[in-house]
Amino acid sequence: MNITSSDVILLAHSTFGVLGTLAAIWVFVEALNASEANAERIRRAAWMAALCMIATWILGGHWYVHFYPADRAMILKGPWPFAHTLFMETKEHLFFIPLILSFYLVIAARGKLFANAAARKMVLCVAMLIALSGLAIEGAGAVINHGAKVALLRGIAGSGR
Amino acid sequence: MTSENAGLSRSSTGFAIAAAITILFSTVLACVKDAYHPLNSFMNSVAWHNWITHGLVDVILFFVLGIIFSKNAWAGRIASSRLISFLVGAVIVAGVGLFVWYAAF
Repeated sequence: MNITSSDVILLAHSTFGVLGTLAAIWVFVEALNASEANAERIRRAAWMAALCMIATWILGGHWYVHFYPADRAMILKGPWPFAHTLFMETKEHLFFIPLILSFYLVIAARGKLFANAAARKMVLCVAMLIALSGLAIEGAGAVINHGAKVALLRGIAGSGR
Repeated sequence: MTSENAGLSRSSTGFAIAAAITILFSTVLACVKDAYHPLNSFMNSVAWHNWITHGLVDVILFFVLGIIFSKNAWAGRIASSRLISFLVGAVIVAGVGLFVWYAAF
């Protein structure tokens, strides 16, 4: 077994992305049933979403700067160059949306959601936007991963001929 | 006004506007740096990589705008429904805009 730091960082960044998305969904569900009893839990879940997004940003940024250039070159030579030119380019900039929204979620969740319909509606919308954009980013990550895979497979198949 | 009918707090309103503006700004910056390479090179020189610089600019802009807007009295007078529409609209425009930009160029 040969697990490199690149593998660990890559998988950790997507794991934290999923956890951040799940935390946003957790906030959404709790806010649907907002009461005095779960107010503190909503705030903690919002913090968890923001902290997971920060971890994703740092880990993803480190991997993108230090390890991705080799993968990018391979993807661009493979049969799915759009995995980089469209999906990676969109994904890396789309990520700033849930990042900023997760920071805002912490601020919006400070209000008394159980007593303020406007604050509750705002938290529900922001949590849903984080979840949807997070899922879109995870989907883009899968396309990029497949772009690298088909490029490698073509290289292996080509070298075998 | 009962608390059930109360609007958003000033900080919640101010930072919501800041989030929407930052998200739109981030999309415009992504397109501009993609089209204008001197800006991309400049951003590469600021913080190791243009993407890192981009993220730092977004985060700083969000907090600076949020603090400024939160201190303004008009922040508390904006209808929450309009604010939510603005934020959701900004996210949709930014997300679709990024995809269309990279698909087209």
